[in-house]
Amino acid sequence: MPGHKLSTALGLLPGLRACERDPAREARALAGLACWSGRFTPTVSLAPPAGLLLEIGGCRRLFGGIEAIVEAVRDGCRVQGWRVDWAVAPTPLGARWLAHAGAAASYESLAALQAALADLPCVVPDWPAEVVARLDAFGLRRLGELTAQPAASLRRRVGNGPVDDLLRACGELPDPQRAFVFPERFAAGLELPSRVEFAEGLAFAAQRLFAALAGWLQVRQMLLRAGTLRLTHDDGSSSMLPLRFGEPCGDEGRFMRLLREHLGRLQLVAPVEALSLVADEVVARPDASTGLFDQAVPGEGAAACIERLRARLGDDAVRSLAQHADHRPECASRSDDPAGIFAAKTASTATFGKPRPLWLLPAPQPLAERADGPHWHGPLQLVTRGERLESGWWDSGEASAVGDLRRDYFVARNGEGQWAWIFRDASGWYVHGVFA
Amino acid sequence: MSAQPSPVSLAAVLARGDIWRGDALPGLPAGTIASGYAELDAELPGGGWPRGNLTEILVDRGGIGEISLLLPALARLSGEGGRLALVAPPWLPHAPAWAAAGVAPERLLVIRPGKQVAWCVEQLLRCGGFAGLLAWPDAGIDARALRRLQVAAEGQSVFAVLWRSTVDAATPSPAPLRLTLAASADRLALRILKRRGRPASRLLQIEIPRPGRKTRVVAGPAFSAADAGSPAAAAVA
Repeated sequence: MPGHKLSTALGLLPGLRACERDPAREARALAGLACWSGRFTPTVSLAPPAGLLLEIGGCRRLFGGIEAIVEAVRDGCRVQGWRVDWAVAPTPLGARWLAHAGAAASYESLAALQAALADLPCVVPDWPAEVVARLDAFGLRRLGELTAQPAASLRRRVGNGPVDDLLRACGELPDPQRAFVFPERFAAGLELPSRVEFAEGLAFAAQRLFAALAGWLQVRQMLLRAGTLRLTHDDGSSSMLPLRFGEPCGDEGRFMRLLREHLGRLQLVAPVEALSLVADEVVARPDASTGLFDQAVPGEGAAACIERLRARLGDDAVRSLAQHADHRPECASRSDDPAGIFAAKTASTATFGKPRPLWLLPAPQPLAERADGPHWHGPLQLVTRGERLESGWWDSGEASAVGDLRRDYFVARNGEGQWAWIFRDASGWYVHGVFA
Repeated sequence: MSAQPSPVSLAAVLARGDIWRGDALPGLPAGTIASGYAELDAELPGGGWPRGNLTEILVDRGGIGEISLLLPALARLSGEGGRLALVAPPWLPHAPAWAAAGVAPERLLVIRPGKQVAWCVEQLLRCGGFAGLLAWPDAGIDARALRRLQVAAEGQSVFAVLWRSTVDAATPSPAPLRLTLAASADRLALRILKRRGRPASRLLQIEIPRPGRKTRVVAGPAFSAADAGSPAAAAVA
């Protein structure tokens, strides 16, 4: 309870142990916690003496919702030995006040925030004592009563500060926060509350340092290859514990496992008073950024590419070819599932000695017939003798089958240098293929 | 009196490392694949079709032997186990003919992307799993899309060919190799519009294997003096 003397406190509770507040240590601890929170969000700002603001609006989806982030933050703080009062709100000042008041809840909208702020007593924001006394004299005890007053007259009586704070907390005035700058090189120190004589006891204290290191690595997108843990003994000497990783890593669990192995073998020359951790060698995290739209990764191979094409264009748009033993040209070549594209090399089947065109038209096109023969972009010249194909009596009459054929096929050439595969059947001349 | 420089032979000067000859065709870092036609290989930088770069072939009509020009290279790629892809081909590929030419039909992928030809080609180039790619892009493809395709092809060992119309010969394109093909008499007339190194000036006449025999015409009008002498029987009834 603030405001009492130490002797009064000792009188109430004789076993009380009193320590002096060390602002420098508190600042270092807060900075270490800010580094640790870098694993959640890169926008962190300090609200000294004991507050930390994390901007989690942008990373909600990554962590799967605000509840998940809050759980993770509370668990992490508990592991490190911190007790937290937390609140989530759309504005930073609103969140600070609610956390100060001990509201362990999250408010999604400005309306809910304003309703919650209305119930807070006027001592919650850190306004000067005289302002609080004046408000008390007016009979305004809750923030909600303050907002109900006309703003101009309130400004004249208590000054601009409280009124502007209220506007910022309700989101009507912008409230930019100074961001915490994650240091270029990580070097954090921790003074132990009591001297540690056995090496295993260092693991708990070092856990805070490694947690801060892991958060710093996450924000800077780097991985640790080598670091040094420096133990300061009570006689002033210090010893170094080098930590080296075969493969650069950023995982806090791996750090702790390596540390425990080292500590299991370490013999302390003297009790340890303080620890400090320095990251000596860090390498950039070798991740590749993916494109916003679905993009092929170079070298990912044909299978993944075919899947992507089929997903976007449809299964029918991506086919491979297959040969089929049939005299009818339409049936000799059919499209097949592209899975066969990865089959081992098969021996080629026996091929015709007759010329076959590389391209087949989807359906034979009738040709105009003039005096000197069929025309296809000009008069056609037949270059081979006729090849008669008669086949397919078993298919005739079926709906989608080719049916019975009786065609004489020729290779033809026109005046423009194009080579075509034409045939003549009972109904006239047709062009069926192109020799490309 | 200043000493006169001693005369050195021209060959020694040309052999120096800091002399660049303007009439030499550069080699290609990504490798080439031999086209199978000696006079064409002599004119292509690197001695063959380039891999890892776009090749644009401009034709105004099909059926003059344009694919047959590429078939020796495609057959070699397929014979080594590589996969080929045809994107938006103008007609249906006929499997027995491709198999007879040496391209395994089961490793030939036919894709009909509708409107998304450029996206499709880019994905196939980037994935790096295809040895050869023939694509027929839309007539209105612009230089920015072609630039993306060229960037996607770089670094892969894919032999990529884009088929376009000869009306696009005047518009600039980022493809390092551009050819036009036209039919002339019995051969294929090939002109290289753009290549690395010195510009090509010669028109190449490549003889492509064609079905049937050249010297004999079974029926139909005579197109050239050579054909005029052959007996042309009446049209087959």
